[in-house]
Amino acid sequence: MTRLTLERVTFRYPATEAPALEDVSLEVRGGEVVALVGSVGAGASTLLLVAGDLAPRVVGGRLEGRVSFDGEGPRAIVLPAPWTQLSGMAFTVWDEVAFGPANLGLPRDEISRQVDQAVARLDLEALTSRDPTTLSGGELQRVIVAGILAMRPALLLLDEPTAELDPVGARTLWKLVRTLAGEGTAIVMATSELDALPAITDRVVWLERGRVAATGPAALLASDALVVANMGTTVAAVWRAAGLPPPYPLTVAHAAQRWERR
Amino acid sequence: MTRLHPFTLLAIAGALPALAWLLPAPVGGLATAVVALGLTLTGGARLTRTAVLTAAPFWLFLLLLHDLPTSIAIGLRVTTMVASFVWVVGALPPPRLVEAMVAAGWSASVAYVFAATLAAAPVLRARARRIADAQRCRGLSARGGLAHRLRALWALALPLILSSLHEVDERALALETRRLVPGARRTPLSPPPDRGAERLARWGLVAACAAALGWRLR
Repeated sequence: MTRLTLERVTFRYPATEAPALEDVSLEVRGGEVVALVGSVGAGASTLLLVAGDLAPRVVGGRLEGRVSFDGEGPRAIVLPAPWTQLSGMAFTVWDEVAFGPANLGLPRDEISRQVDQAVARLDLEALTSRDPTTLSGGELQRVIVAGILAMRPALLLLDEPTAELDPVGARTLWKLVRTLAGEGTAIVMATSELDALPAITDRVVWLERGRVAATGPAALLASDALVVANMGTTVAAVWRAAGLPPPYPLTVAHAAQRWERR
Repeated sequence: MTRLHPFTLLAIAGALPALAWLLPAPVGGLATAVVALGLTLTGGARLTRTAVLTAAPFWLFLLLLHDLPTSIAIGLRVTTMVASFVWVVGALPPPRLVEAMVAAGWSASVAYVFAATLAAAPVLRARARRIADAQRCRGLSARGGLAHRLRALWALALPLILSSLHEVDERALALETRRLVPGARRTPLSPPPDRGAERLARWGLVAACAAALGWRLR
């Protein structure tokens, strides 16, 4: 069973005294989708690096507390900028997607199966023979996500995964996130696409200056504190701006129900 | 030529400079320089032009520092080195080299470091072009007097260096997450065929270099 546990984690980047994360505790199990929300510099990306065993192991810095992970697959992260995530070692999109599974030393036929499945999931069939360096940012981001999925991660970490995607691509990705969670993958994502979260996430963690300010179900995005901090959904923010009384609706459907009941 | 096994291409690119320095000047250097420049022609006139333009400053400094025979002797050897490197960078796609090295039992991360060196030049050139375009959009002009040109160069070089350094961090994270880690035993996806004739040719090149060394030490 997949499980990621952070116990009272404090992390400082190299040559800095101020912690990027402070006293953060979090547990994520397989099949769960956890969204990290917060303003820039709140620590969401850092938390993903810590969860992915990249901080401090690769980026350096000091970690206090305990991070543990159990799972039948690797943990893998998708970063926001697709260009820097290209392997640079692939002639085609298919080879690029196969880069991770090949590094895992899997047999060729298994690599082939996993790559074909990931390519289909991200709707990349038409691009498989293209040179990755000739793709647009959105196409490239889908290729990078496919490359990570082809490794069959037990824990998937997504850092602003829709930053380069168009609305259709973003919707496809969010739907895929739910599908993966249904298959048992644990997913932690940092995103500013707050309106998409009610349909996707099981839990929301609100980070402020490296600390967990609040945690709860998606309904947290309609709480007064998050709406005031501009971390709520647009519907909740509009409801509040219109001077309508709390509790604020989370989605358009909730707002319509509330409006009809008035 | 690009169909040759990556190790054969590397063997040629390594043997030519070795022979250039081992064989007596200026005939040895002239012969290897002609071969190396001829090889660049197989990749198109652009490669030859790059090799000649890269070697030209070396010739200039040699002629300033040495007499003519010495300048010619060293210049031909340097030209061989430059042309061989330019040719192998143009003829050898880094992904093929990685596949060949992995198939030969090298660690994937060692193969990547090797191949990334070959891939660095075109990547940096493309980024420099993007930075130059961006700076031009913001009114930077690389024309005018020497002082003006130097200021423009600074405005181009600094973002290039800083962005490259920044990218190193992100690329390291991305490669790490895709398990390009020390000691990883990568599965070669499409290893290039290594024919017996090519293996023989590579040993032939090693033998030629060894024979040239023995002959010079005699």
